[in-house]
Amino acid sequence: METAIMALAACISIVGTALATSMAQRAIGSAGVGALAEKPELVGSIIILVALPETLVILGFAVAAIILMG
Amino acid sequence: MIVDMARVQIWGLKDHLPDLIALLHEEGCIQIDDVGNIPDAVIQPFSLSQEMREEQEEVDLLIANINGLIEMFKGLTKERFKNHAIEPIDLFEIKDKVDDVTSKIQYLNNRKKALQDELISFSKYLEMLKIIAPVCPETSKDSGNATIRALVHSSQTRTMNLLAQQLKLLTHGKFEMVNVKVGGETNAVIGIFPLELVSQVETFMRNEKVTQLLLPEEYAYLSTDEALDNLNRKIALNHDELRDIDARLERIAAEWLPQLGVWQLVCKDKVDEFAVYEKVGETDYTFSIFGWLPEHDLNSFGDIIEQNFGEAVSVTEIEVPKKIRASIPVEIKNPKAVKPYENFVKMRATPDYGDVDPSMLVAIFMPIFFGMMAGDVGYGIVMLAIALLLGKKVKSGMVADILKFLRLGAIWTIVFGVLFGEYFGTLGEKLGILPLWMNRSEPENIFPLLIMAISVGVGHIIVGLLIGIWNAFIHKARNHMLERLGMFIGLVGLIFLAGSLTKYLPGGFIMAGWVVLAVGLIVLGISLGTTGIFLGPIEFVGLIGSILSYLRIAALGLASVFLAKVANDLGGMVGSAVIGVLIAVLIHALNIMMGILSPTIQSLRLQYVEFFRRFFEGGHSPFTPFHKRIHFEKKVH
Repeated sequence: METAIMALAACISIVGTALATSMAQRAIGSAGVGALAEKPELVGSIIILVALPETLVILGFAVAAIILMG
Repeated sequence: MIVDMARVQIWGLKDHLPDLIALLHEEGCIQIDDVGNIPDAVIQPFSLSQEMREEQEEVDLLIANINGLIEMFKGLTKERFKNHAIEPIDLFEIKDKVDDVTSKIQYLNNRKKALQDELISFSKYLEMLKIIAPVCPETSKDSGNATIRALVHSSQTRTMNLLAQQLKLLTHGKFEMVNVKVGGETNAVIGIFPLELVSQVETFMRNEKVTQLLLPEEYAYLSTDEALDNLNRKIALNHDELRDIDARLERIAAEWLPQLGVWQLVCKDKVDEFAVYEKVGETDYTFSIFGWLPEHDLNSFGDIIEQNFGEAVSVTEIEVPKKIRASIPVEIKNPKAVKPYENFVKMRATPDYGDVDPSMLVAIFMPIFFGMMAGDVGYGIVMLAIALLLGKKVKSGMVADILKFLRLGAIWTIVFGVLFGEYFGTLGEKLGILPLWMNRSEPENIFPLLIMAISVGVGHIIVGLLIGIWNAFIHKARNHMLERLGMFIGLVGLIFLAGSLTKYLPGGFIMAGWVVLAVGLIVLGISLGTTGIFLGPIEFVGLIGSILSYLRIAALGLASVFLAKVANDLGGMVGSAVIGVLIAVLIHALNIMMGILSPTIQSLRLQYVEFFRRFFEGGHSPFTPFHKRIHFEKKVH
């Protein structure tokens, strides 16, 4: 039972942060593509902006790993 | 590395200015500043003569014509121009040739348009005649007879019959009319009468306001069958001519597109020269040019000017006032192998003048991070093959840079694959090949893997902070230096704490760790001013977040190894060996594709976001020398 709850907690940690990341990236990505169409030289900045929210899911992964390794 | 730049002033007699600008253009080693924007240049900007302005307008017009032709020709031929030295050609020659091509094209396009318009109207006639032809009486085929045709609404049939009676009276009974229903409510009315009565019948029809189906003059009074035959022949001829025109246009496009590409560059070079004139300063008899060039080119540049102009033109290195230091153009020079990474850095921003150029560090870290994430001997070999094969086809541009990075990344993937004992995932393990370091798919190795990723992050960020401290020291930016120093000290304190808590360091380091961490936070707080007491710890937590961000190295690696494991296990579960291998190959192929894309983006992100944030300001303008887009062949005597 305890293992199942731990697995569920790890799962929630990953799913929640992955959803948050994807929601942020959806908004940033579509705006970024629009900006790139007008100013292709912004590619570096856009990559950064799109990549920034990924830290969320990585932190989710870290939390999940800590839960599982308990 | 960032090249040292020298600021120069070129001064001379105005008579030599055109020759000097041509020489500077040819040499292409100096970036020319606009005297209007230089605070220490007290000289009026050069004003173009009326003659020069007219020439400038002509060149602009010529470029517009060339652009129009190029756009049109690109759709007609696959020929493209190659930028190579060409025989000297002046603008008048170019203009004559462009006018010649334009007039040819205009003639062919006009003819094509006329033929297409004809075909549209012919198709309408053809449609009507096809309806009428089957109901035409035999008498209409007699050569002495003329035919008039009309399609009328069935409600008008009675009116048409009355008209036919009147026409019979008018032609003394020689008018024959056929009225046949051809569609739902449409009737075809065909009148046949002797050819000599055409004008009388025509006048009558006009007076009675009957709308006839009027064919072009040459078919007007032919019988319907003859008109149909002639129209079909004409349509076929028009199609032939259209094909011929298209072939001629393609030939012209293939012949002239490469030339036009070259002439476009010649004209743009001329436009650049006019633009440079406007950046020059002048007095009544002299001119003055301010510019930048790499310091190592200064002596050879002075020699070239002296050889060409003697004492009439002089070059002097001048000091760089504080006000314009921020506008020093940045030239980066790196070994060929580092060039792709230099472009990755420029994609983010051109570094500041005087800063450390991070290209070399990116060239070291980026492929290693890629290898750590992908880490599989089999995948590495496939990636290397892809990079080598595609690299032969793509020689320049961003894709070529990525392929060069992938080559090195693939080699590191093989290296880490050996360390992790991964050969297409767990295939090596099944064949008895053991890892040199650790097996990432084993649960007990996940923790060491996370520690490895965080350690890599700490090392990478420490390098970034040290460069940041150095950059701040060079720029005498006190606050930046304190901020980065505080972070560095705090991080060292954190390492002491973590080391002693995990028993890697002696217990005494706990106290030292707290003290060093506190000192770091204080230094960081000082750099942030009065709010530093609150913002300092927040900034430091951000730094820890950056370090944790390196966990993606472990996360992506785990995702890759487990997908590879799934490929092998799923392949093994299928009864048929062929289908099993096919499934495994498909999943491995998917994993390799993801293994190329994801680690590339993630390792680039770690450079841009976590590493660069510690030291990289960027945003300086790159060195853009006044150079020719295309060179003329030098005559050998």
